[in-house]
Amino acid sequence: MQNKLSFHQSSVSLEIIGLPDYSNNENKDQISIISQWKLTIIDKPLIEGKMEHLWPIMNAFYIYSNLLIKNEIPLFESKLIDIKADNLHIHNIVLKSSKPNVKPLILKIGNSLLSDTINCFDQLNDSPKVRIKKTNLPYNFSKKFRYGLNNKVKFFNFFIPPFIAICSLILFSSSFIYFYNPFENIENKEIINPE
Amino acid sequence: MRKSYVGNNIKLNEFDALIRITVEMSKYLYPYIRDILKSKEDLEENSVIWNDFNKRFIELIKERFNMDSMRVKKLLNQAENDEIIIKSLLTLSFSISNQGYQKLKNFLYDF
Repeated sequence: MQNKLSFHQSSVSLEIIGLPDYSNNENKDQISIISQWKLTIIDKPLIEGKMEHLWPIMNAFYIYSNLLIKNEIPLFESKLIDIKADNLHIHNIVLKSSKPNVKPLILKIGNSLLSDTINCFDQLNDSPKVRIKKTNLPYNFSKKFRYGLNNKVKFFNFFIPPFIAICSLILFSSSFIYFYNPFENIENKEIINPE
Repeated sequence: MRKSYVGNNIKLNEFDALIRITVEMSKYLYPYIRDILKSKEDLEENSVIWNDFNKRFIELIKERFNMDSMRVKKLLNQAENDEIIIKSLLTLSFSISNQGYQKLKNFLYDF
């Protein structure tokens, strides 16, 4: 008997079907071996696939949403899925089948459905009932990287003010060179001490 | 950007607390955020929600922000502010999960 878990967010729902890994002494209601998943978006064709397709598709959505927010070109292309922005509100998704002679599935979704889909994937990531090795997800930054971000801010806060102070000091003092004439000084000294 | 004569630098713990409050508010307000985004997708059919939101957004900026700042003027410019508003709403809508705090923090550091 297979376990079934559903994650819902407004117009999108994600269904995960699979079995627990009994060799790891897991509970009956857990899923570690995904046999099938289904992504249902209202008014759009059903998207379904096997375990090996789920993580690349989730990754594609995460990377694309990151690009969209960071003002970079919102375009993701891979063997399995392409996502690109038609405009600021509509996103074009092309799902390519791994089977030969099967036409790719083309979907157009708006920002509301995109955020629903991302939130369904987030629920799956957060769920303690699904134990899958999560790799290459853009939000699962390593600790090193996370601290790196904080250190970067602290480093700049610490070093930038004295650096600006030193630069401005050099700039001002170099401008005074133009007012100082060493030959004039020597002449003045000669007048004072005619010897 | 705010109307204030005192320039206070925000401390790291205050910044963290603000992110946590924003994430909790986003969770609560997600249905509204989603409706605003949806309204902008098909303006011909359902423009009321977007227009109301945009009107109130501009009212609040005029009331609370320093109008002499160039960044604030950019926010009020109808031609430019659509993209800023939509990306801000999307950022909030992507940050409603249990990992929302870390996500929003990463988005802000990358901004």
